[in-house]
Amino acid sequence: MVEEKMKNEVLIEPLTRIEGHLAIHAVPDLETKKYKNAHSYAVMFRGFEIILKNREPADAIWITQRICGVCPVPHAVASVETVDMTYKAPPTPFSIAVRNFVHLSEQLYDSPLGCGILEGPDYSEPVVKRFNPEWWSSAQETKAEHSDLHGYSTIADIMTALTPLSGSLWLKCLQISKLGRKMASLFGAKHPHVGTFVPGGVGKTITATDLEMFAGMLSQHIAFSKEFVPAFDDLLNFLIGIGYEEAGARAANLISYGSYEDPHSYNAKYEDMSKWGEKRKVTPGVVVNRNLITTDLVEINVGIREFITHSYYNEWDGREVERDPLGNEIAAEHPWNKETIPRPEPSKQWNGKYSWGTAPRWHDWKKHIDGGIYTLEAGPIARMWTTAQARKVPESTGNSLKFTLPKVTVVTGKVAEEMTFEWKIPEKVNAIERIRARAYYHAYSAYVAYNMLIEALEMVKKGEIEMWNKYRRPREGIGVGMIEAMRGGVAHWCIMKNGRIHRYQIITPTAWNESPRGPNNEPGPYEEAIIGTPITEAISSSLNGIDAARVVRSFDPCLACTVHVYNGKKKTVNEISPYFNL
Amino acid sequence: MSEIKIEKINAIWLQGQGCTGCTVSLTGATHPSLPDLLTGFLPQAAGVALVFHPTIMLPHGEEAINVLESGLKGKLDPFVLILEGAIPNEELAEKTGGYWCMVGENGEGKPLTLNYWVDKLSERAAAVVAVGTCACYGGIPHGKPNPTGSKGLLSYLGRNWRSKLNLPVICIPGCPAQGEHVAEVLAHLVLTARGFLPIPELDEFHRPKFIFKATAHENCPRAGFFAEGKYSEEFGEPYCMGLLGCKGPIVHCDVPKRGFVEGVGGCTTVGSICIGCTEPEFPDEPLSPFFKKAPPGVFVSETFGDIKGKLYALLHRLKSRKI
Repeated sequence: MVEEKMKNEVLIEPLTRIEGHLAIHAVPDLETKKYKNAHSYAVMFRGFEIILKNREPADAIWITQRICGVCPVPHAVASVETVDMTYKAPPTPFSIAVRNFVHLSEQLYDSPLGCGILEGPDYSEPVVKRFNPEWWSSAQETKAEHSDLHGYSTIADIMTALTPLSGSLWLKCLQISKLGRKMASLFGAKHPHVGTFVPGGVGKTITATDLEMFAGMLSQHIAFSKEFVPAFDDLLNFLIGIGYEEAGARAANLISYGSYEDPHSYNAKYEDMSKWGEKRKVTPGVVVNRNLITTDLVEINVGIREFITHSYYNEWDGREVERDPLGNEIAAEHPWNKETIPRPEPSKQWNGKYSWGTAPRWHDWKKHIDGGIYTLEAGPIARMWTTAQARKVPESTGNSLKFTLPKVTVVTGKVAEEMTFEWKIPEKVNAIERIRARAYYHAYSAYVAYNMLIEALEMVKKGEIEMWNKYRRPREGIGVGMIEAMRGGVAHWCIMKNGRIHRYQIITPTAWNESPRGPNNEPGPYEEAIIGTPITEAISSSLNGIDAARVVRSFDPCLACTVHVYNGKKKTVNEISPYFNL
Repeated sequence: MSEIKIEKINAIWLQGQGCTGCTVSLTGATHPSLPDLLTGFLPQAAGVALVFHPTIMLPHGEEAINVLESGLKGKLDPFVLILEGAIPNEELAEKTGGYWCMVGENGEGKPLTLNYWVDKLSERAAAVVAVGTCACYGGIPHGKPNPTGSKGLLSYLGRNWRSKLNLPVICIPGCPAQGEHVAEVLAHLVLTARGFLPIPELDEFHRPKFIFKATAHENCPRAGFFAEGKYSEEFGEPYCMGLLGCKGPIVHCDVPKRGFVEGVGGCTTVGSICIGCTEPEFPDEPLSPFFKKAPPGVFVSETFGDIKGKLYALLHRLKSRKI
């Protein structure tokens, strides 16, 4: 009986190698060797939305970055755009390019961090040998297709290279991610938590030195991308080959807010948001059952709902904002109307409240499909998908995103020649394809950064180098800022009264993904992705939960959260496993 | 050559109400770097094992929690307890049967809180280090109205608290802590434990003076413009940022001088204002609103210092040449 119970559930608390405190409860079906139920829950609360009340809106640009030290810059961008709009302070074109540089730098750091340091070790030699020894022998015999580009001759070599602290790819990812943060510090003063973003522009004193340093560091990233993406392609194709594609599979229901503003289109006006949203280098969009149903940022904003049915909060009253500045109706569950009222309750009340995370959902209010409420997934796979399908940028073909990185010659680079990348919309949305999209997003960001640099140099030639537009702070205002972090769309909403924050609301990308059950008891994306995931580890007396952990890590959680897998039984395995010595 | 006694020193890195920014920042440390620290860059500094770190360790769940439990049983002695993130007041959460910050569960499936681990592990720790302003003083989570009753280690354990090695809580503030600050202080403590360096001298807020003695203003490359009365009135200008809200004169930090990642960046250096993220009051008054000018008293004393400086400069000019 005890034995029975032990195998009946897997609890991962803490889930490590993610950002923050997240727990996963998963129920295996030992006959079908699949997970049949799952709950995802955030286990830490700080109360940003309460702390922000009554402060000056501009303070939010600094404070909200502290939500997440792994992805602070998208919070900075979302917040500064929220405050630009609230203050009616449009930034100068050159400062938009500089904000992009900081944002792009963070993506160049965050992709190798996610793929190499946080998720990669799940497929590294020590983990594969321990949990999937049969993969290891096959990996040793499988030649890596792109060994001429990355230098690893077999898949096993790539797995060895992903071993923490000693693997060459792990170390390269650590080093190149640091270079991304150095680039962000160049224009942002520091990273994590940049200091230069201000309403109406950027507080950076720019010189030719900055642009040259940026170019020098960017060339290293371009060279790295030409090795890194093929290495992950080879590893991920191998995993598909051995049948791991059911891990983390869920329907292609996706959301992206779009990213990287066009310096000459963004004007911080809500009334024009549909227009400048579509000019972004990454296209906003909602995908339902593989089809792109909208690219309109205003429509996406108006459709957002936040539910707390299974979350440790009390309901809020009232509907203060009835219409947005364009006259669209704003629902009571929209963040412009939400109040954060925490109420801590016991853990694991699966039928009641069990998470500090809320359940964001999207209402198809223009009835493209059926006017329903959808559970959407955010992340690189979502934004690569919307951009590839939308044909709003020249690189979009309708079913792929195709672009060419320029020739660069750097001492450490293996490939100098220009290289064309094509990310194709995958057959499935699963753990493997989430990681692949994250790797390709490094290449796409390097490509956008290179073109943004050329555009900035053109602006310098024309003398368009003003960094800041002076503004007069109004007493009342309303704003929204929606942009993409590495792990998906992040959005902020603000209502200002008497020059102070009356309400400030934030939905992080991980809030979309780690959401608990929603208003109709429907599972959130992590939960959906775990349900149906095959169990590949050997089922002995206890389950480690590695497959569930791999699935969740493929989303690159960033909750300021932790997942611990445990098997419902108190059992000390090893005092210290060999992997602890990190 | 004296024999170097290599002892293993374990490090347990807990995360509370934080954002992982200090960990990310530590990955940017250069000399020494994180791999340097963990692989033992010098024989004197070797033997450090990071046995628990939620963001980078391979194991998860029960196996991860087992490490903390073996720490409680003394199997990891001697260890340094490092905390990133603030510590909430769990008594507030218990009123409605819940928790603010959970790290694992006990055998009955009840949540174990961060506070539980800090209480238990600090009893055995050779040293306790608070990394980042949240862990030191409460930081952002303790910002008014402090919804979760957050504190930093300095007030949670108390100023008079002492570790097994008779060390007080050591604070490395910053939001996040600058990566090299963390690496240097940790390496310093290892060398201290082995008798190669004295105990680092601390200021009143338990910050090592070798890093935090001077103010951001004293360390600022734009201080020369301040002395000449040149102020930036718009963002993007290269002068003193005092009029735009810089709090450098009341903040202890060397980031303007040394930059943030491999010497690049630095808040006032590049044109940002200093928001005082290394101070116990952060993010409240007198550091916020961030665009509000620093309290006038500061500028009065700065100005007196400046006049004194000018007079001394004049007097020294009148002295005869020394070499």
